[in-house]
Amino acid sequence: MNDELSRRDWLRTLGASGVAAGLGNLAARTAVAQNPGESSGFQSSIINASEIQANRASPSLVEGQVMQPARALPILHRTDVLVVGGGPAGVCAAIAARRAGADVTLVERYGHFGGLWTGGLVLLVIGHIVKGGQQVCQGIGEEIMRRLDKLDGAIVNRRPGVAPTVDAEAVKYLMVEMIEEAGVKVYLHCWGVDAIVTGNQVQGAVFESKSGRQAIVSKVVVDATGDGDIFAMAGAEYERRSHNVGLVSRIANLDRVDTSHNTAGTEPRHLGNITPVPGVNWVNMHGPEVDGLDVEVLTRMEMNHRKFIWRNIQRTRSIPGYEQVYLTETAPQLGVRITRAVKGVNTITLQDLKAGTTYPDVIGVGGAAGAEHGPWQIPYGALVPAATENVLAAGRCVSAEMRMADLVRLIPNCFVTGHAAGVGAAVAVRDGCTPRDVDVAEVQKILRAHEAYLG
Amino acid sequence: MSNTSEPITDLDRPQRKALRWWRQASRAAVLVAVIAMLLWDTATPWSVLPVQLSPLVVVSTWLTTRAWSWFVMPTLLLVVGLAVRQRWFCRWICPAGLCADQATWLGRRLGRRRRTWPAIGHRVAVLTLAGACIGYPLLLWLDPLALLSGAFTLTAAPHATSTWMYVIGIVGVLLLSLIWPHSWCGSVCPLGGFQDAVYGASCLAQVAFQQRSRQQSRLARPLRGFRRRTMLAGIVGIVWATATLKLRKRAAKPLRPPGSVDEARFTGLCIRCGNCTRACPTQILAPDCGEHAIASLLTPVVSFEHSYCLETCNQCTLVCPTGAIRSVAIQDKGQTSMGVPVVDMDICLLGDDRDCSICRNHCPYEAIRLVFSEVEYTLTPVVDLNCCPGCGACQVACPTTPTKAIVVYPQL
Repeated sequence: MNDELSRRDWLRTLGASGVAAGLGNLAARTAVAQNPGESSGFQSSIINASEIQANRASPSLVEGQVMQPARALPILHRTDVLVVGGGPAGVCAAIAARRAGADVTLVERYGHFGGLWTGGLVLLVIGHIVKGGQQVCQGIGEEIMRRLDKLDGAIVNRRPGVAPTVDAEAVKYLMVEMIEEAGVKVYLHCWGVDAIVTGNQVQGAVFESKSGRQAIVSKVVVDATGDGDIFAMAGAEYERRSHNVGLVSRIANLDRVDTSHNTAGTEPRHLGNITPVPGVNWVNMHGPEVDGLDVEVLTRMEMNHRKFIWRNIQRTRSIPGYEQVYLTETAPQLGVRITRAVKGVNTITLQDLKAGTTYPDVIGVGGAAGAEHGPWQIPYGALVPAATENVLAAGRCVSAEMRMADLVRLIPNCFVTGHAAGVGAAVAVRDGCTPRDVDVAEVQKILRAHEAYLG
Repeated sequence: MSNTSEPITDLDRPQRKALRWWRQASRAAVLVAVIAMLLWDTATPWSVLPVQLSPLVVVSTWLTTRAWSWFVMPTLLLVVGLAVRQRWFCRWICPAGLCADQATWLGRRLGRRRRTWPAIGHRVAVLTLAGACIGYPLLLWLDPLALLSGAFTLTAAPHATSTWMYVIGIVGVLLLSLIWPHSWCGSVCPLGGFQDAVYGASCLAQVAFQQRSRQQSRLARPLRGFRRRTMLAGIVGIVWATATLKLRKRAAKPLRPPGSVDEARFTGLCIRCGNCTRACPTQILAPDCGEHAIASLLTPVVSFEHSYCLETCNQCTLVCPTGAIRSVAIQDKGQTSMGVPVVDMDICLLGDDRDCSICRNHCPYEAIRLVFSEVEYTLTPVVDLNCCPGCGACQVACPTTPTKAIVVYPQL
């Protein structure tokens, strides 16, 4: 009853305005643009009560349950390849798909690119090398690193066989530049909350933003959310995992530390490691092993970690010689390491890593943190959900057993899976097939043309 | 009874020649069989046979471990034969003896002459058996079949300098035989000495049974001083073995293969045949080249430098001919402790807030947890010793260099 009514109201609004856009504040924004003169120099307009009432589709409390009325969602955009998540995997996927000829839209929940690399302040890039020092992360990931080399103060320790450390702001800037160069349509401040699914076919995703709940329709979705939010919503099978959730911070003035008068003998703890900014360290934190998909947990982590970071910096400052050290910032984004891993057509296992298993559908080669492993191949099948169509996983949520989670989630390995997912999606769009049925040889050919390393 | 022990000199010349030929052929056949078994497949329980051919090894290990195996049945039949025919084993079976005989032949050709040495072998055999009775078969590793078998460890790991140590034994036998022809077989060999002891005991029994005066008997020669020598060697063996067991109780223990008996007895029971070292697919076993106690010399020591003790393997526990390494079923490996991993948080990457979980991820027994301290805000690897056998997978995987943050130490 209620549902029917709101849908009819909404359709009436649609007919009246003649604009294929919709709810409340979006309609209001259109009004501002159309009648700027009415607001005497200020960009504002009054949304009257009847207009609000006409566009309402809010849930209501019915017999103790919160009921959401059924409604049609405004379609914000239509695209070939929709990449959800603008972290290392998502950015690589978007650029790769665009370069492979697809029309690409990238959606990111925060106001910047880079995900945990920048927003999480995980500035140390580990996982690009293997035993013997060979660098296996090439392609767009390496292109990002090379462009960081050219930026002043963007990266340190960029030597063969060594893990470099980047500056978060430099990466945020560079990614904007690269995304714009590639010609990717971007929506920031847009949180992917649901998948558009018919049967087992994913046809886009739904987003919450200041513009309300909107849909982006696409031929293929690359789930680079890290948490696998889109494939999980689409009904793909996955493994849910707990891991350490921490909060990274940066501290400054370490170049002003004078330990010559330290007679107390107390050692500062959690001082972190260097960054490209002199005297500034990034301080990693593990945190307890918890479920990173539980908002209560995330809240508790954020608050507890904040208290600890403050306590620890006070303790550090109380040590003779460390008085000038201060906390510059805590990471805007909580350090969630692993939450979901899709159950893919193929799963990356430690046994395969040790055995050096090779795959005919190899799309990249993974590296290790301290080069303690040899090269391990990543099959295309690890990106493809076992039974859900038109969605590819990229980044830490690809199909891998728990023992491999700590390798799969490393930034360079996210570059690699993101790059491959982008190309896979673009080829699927081009050939008019699902990502499951793409000609992997073609994907490999394009990846090689993008200078990716496939072993 | 006296007919069976007729000396060979009773035969005429062509018969003697034919007999000698048959003996050579028999020993050559055994040698070929032994080499085939040692080279064929190092990882089958059949690997115990070349060493268990030795009645001395079988009797000593039975006295030490009191563990029964059907593999020893044929060898026990040999012992019965030894009581009837003096040195029957040497003449018809011993493959090491065949090799020593060739060295002897060469030595004679080079003009070397035999020296008359006291029968050390008999004393060695008796004191080893006496030691075995109280749990420490003292010089069992001098058994010629163990020495011969050990030399083949080279084929398993020719690049490892330590395996060359195993060759010293058989080279020593050949050199002794070359420089002083027949000295090994005639005087030193404990397996020969064992046969003398069995034959001597049998003669004593016959003398007692036949109620003859010893001087009159044809059995008199082998019995000259037999009782005194045997008694003395036995007493020395018991005292020596007791002292060794006492001292070894406090000795620092190296890492041993899974299923090894306690360290005090291990160095006695282990005859350095190299079977376990050959069988190990990851080559984590190597002979102790003097890194530990002198009693431990050439015994197998585990090193987790390059690889670890695979959760899917129990080969070394199946091929030990003496029971120094008891057999362990693969499903029991988790409960068979080789050692205890210890984490040094000063080296561990987690101590520096670095992200690392390699030891946890590589543990085949899921025995490592990373425990977060709410107070210190640090993550520490904690090993559950109830399910950790100390296989070394964590140590091998640990990324810190040059010193590993997690190291398996032998259980003290």
